[in-house]
Amino acid sequence: MEMDSLPNGNSAAASPPQNPTPAAAGGMTPFPKLTQLTEALKLEHQFLRVPFEHYKKTIRTNHRAVEKEITSVISNVADVSDSENFSKDDAVNHLTSLVSRLQGLKRKLEEGSRTEHLQAQKCRARLNHLESADAENLAEWNNTRVKRILVDYMLRMSYYETAEKLAESSNIQDLVDIEVFQEAKKVIDALQNKEVAPALAWCSDNKSRLKKSKSKFEFQLRLQEFIELVRGENNLRAITYARKYLAPWGATHMKELQRVMATLAFKSNTECTTYKALFEPKQWDFLVDQFKQEFCKLYGMTLEPLLNIYLQAGLSALNTPYCYEDDCTKEDPLSQESFRKLASPLPYSKQHHSKLVCYITKELMDTENPPQVLPNGYVYSTKALEEMAKKNNGKITCPRTGLVCNYSDLVKAYIS
Amino acid sequence: MELSTVKDAFDRVTKKQKLSCSKSQEVIDQVGLEIEQTLTKIQSVDDTSFPIDLKSILAELKVKLNAIGLQSQLEGPQKELNSNLSKYLKLLEKVFNPDISKAYRNVDFDHHILNQIIASHLYRQGLFDLGDCLVNEAGEPEASALGSQFLEMYQILEAVRIKNIEPALKWISANREALKQNSTSLELKLHRLQFVEILQKKGRADALVYARTHLAPFASIHLDEIQKLMGSLLWAGKLEKSPYAELLIPAHWDNMTEELTRQFCSLLGQSYQSPLTVAIAAGVEGLPTLLKLANVMAAKKQEWQAMKQLPVPLELGKEFQFHSIFVCPVSREQASEENPPMLMPCLHVLCKQSIMKLSKSSTRSFKCPYCPADASVAQCRQLYF
Repeated sequence: MEMDSLPNGNSAAASPPQNPTPAAAGGMTPFPKLTQLTEALKLEHQFLRVPFEHYKKTIRTNHRAVEKEITSVISNVADVSDSENFSKDDAVNHLTSLVSRLQGLKRKLEEGSRTEHLQAQKCRARLNHLESADAENLAEWNNTRVKRILVDYMLRMSYYETAEKLAESSNIQDLVDIEVFQEAKKVIDALQNKEVAPALAWCSDNKSRLKKSKSKFEFQLRLQEFIELVRGENNLRAITYARKYLAPWGATHMKELQRVMATLAFKSNTECTTYKALFEPKQWDFLVDQFKQEFCKLYGMTLEPLLNIYLQAGLSALNTPYCYEDDCTKEDPLSQESFRKLASPLPYSKQHHSKLVCYITKELMDTENPPQVLPNGYVYSTKALEEMAKKNNGKITCPRTGLVCNYSDLVKAYIS
Repeated sequence: MELSTVKDAFDRVTKKQKLSCSKSQEVIDQVGLEIEQTLTKIQSVDDTSFPIDLKSILAELKVKLNAIGLQSQLEGPQKELNSNLSKYLKLLEKVFNPDISKAYRNVDFDHHILNQIIASHLYRQGLFDLGDCLVNEAGEPEASALGSQFLEMYQILEAVRIKNIEPALKWISANREALKQNSTSLELKLHRLQFVEILQKKGRADALVYARTHLAPFASIHLDEIQKLMGSLLWAGKLEKSPYAELLIPAHWDNMTEELTRQFCSLLGQSYQSPLTVAIAAGVEGLPTLLKLANVMAAKKQEWQAMKQLPVPLELGKEFQFHSIFVCPVSREQASEENPPMLMPCLHVLCKQSIMKLSKSSTRSFKCPYCPADASVAQCRQLYF
């Protein structure tokens, strides 16, 4: 929109406009579409990282298995050659068993290598998927992204069946982490049944990485097991258990250790709030949450579901005081009660430039479709008013006040 | 986007993985071979020379196996693989945004609300099985209400897809009053498409009969349209080469389907686009800026969590513009009821407070900041967008 300012406009006003660029009202895309796509792709770290962590884990496990078995075979040979009393038959039997062990190992290695290959393919499928996003298929690609985000949410909430169905029906199995979450499901199911064994096994599988991140999840599991022993009044067993499994954590977590040990003096039906809390069943829910966090951290996932992150950003960007007015358009997600509730703790968005939407057509009013003012101060887009004038012999009726005027009575407003 | 660099790095990883794997195979084979050779040796040995030879043969095997240097053979490629693995992870961190939750406000979204939103989304996309599945799995029975409403829409659309407009017309006549308010010409569009179908498939006579029964009622408001359709009767059988060829383009069906969906959603009190899709898409566009902001404000995390308005604009595309927002070009403040936009006689627009300031509380006339025109407060009038 052109500004009617003269070169020596002499804006003697107290505070001249800070930014007198004749930017049209609205109609500005912040980034060209391509930059925007690049920015969107940069958000996909987790998308590539999770399958890669899975792949890496498989490689490590397989390699460790091979190493262990070979070392064991060799030390077996050493044992045989060092021992004194054995017959030729013994030696033959022994060596033959070693040979078949090696054959078994070879089969296992082949199998493992197949798994690795499949996981590598998954990583590659995701790279290809990111690469495939371009202007032509963007609508479809974005659609898939919504589905990916939904599957992520469902997996984290343990809605496995819906997650699998959605992935299958949209043919995006390679683009979601169902297999990774199957590992979590076992542990979560067990914890919900008040069993810690699978969780402990998971801890020992991931020992070094948990240690690196200073996780105390294992300690928390041990504490819970101890509490269960106290609950069952197996005090002596509880003490033995504490010596064996809790004591090693003493150096770093003495306070918690002492607190839990004190339950020995109480019964599970104690009214003392500090200790009552420890006996509550919701401690198990807490362990489930704790596990989910550790699990996400290990795989490089965000702690919150992707859906929450994107929705929060989106609702913050859309949130304006106008969304809560009665005549808010249905197309605005924030016209719906459910979205409003989600947005209530979020900030309002901010605008530096005017963006005007025609009340009638809901289209943006910009240079191509400038705003026009009726004599009563109500503003509509040129497009809408021209159409109305054409249909009604040049008469305009204000849809909000009922005022009738001529098209020639309108004036164009200049918005900067 | 440096995706090709990432791909190359990944190729290096898989190459090393294969190398390490074949090395492991090799080592296993080697050990197996040595043991088997020893076995044959033992079995071929004469019983009389037993046991001295057996012992030395085994000792020899032990020495041989040790000489292979198994550990180092396995370790070498594995080490290279490991270094490539961590290089790849570092590259991902560099090329991508490693933590998109940085700008996350620590407020818990009520997951019941989220589940209901997702179920509605699935229903309105026509994924009824999935919607039901989620409702069951998440235990949100009240979310299934929307399902049956959208089911009707998809049945109508499915019929339209195979060019059966009956269900659509039935729906229109059942909702005629409500549709009237939306001033839609959906019904005419349906009849027009049907008319063209009949003209093409059954010929002039049938088309004429159809026009008399179904198009005639529209004569008063859509005369032009009907005249055009009647004109096309002259070209029956060779419509594609006529001035009316335009009537045949498939886009008409797509337009009608879109209009039908729009009207159906509108009558349900729903938006045309899934609100979840819209909100996520807005999130994707807004998040990069939010993350940059969170980085800048890292030191003021508390402020970040508490602010009532974002400190910077998150520019969204125009498809996300649902409300008129006027920002005063002088004060940079958003207009509000107390501070409404005012039109000056020169047709430039400022907010009331800025005008009050310029006019020293309406005591004197002032110059527009944009042009040399003079104005007084009395000449300014409020605008309603």
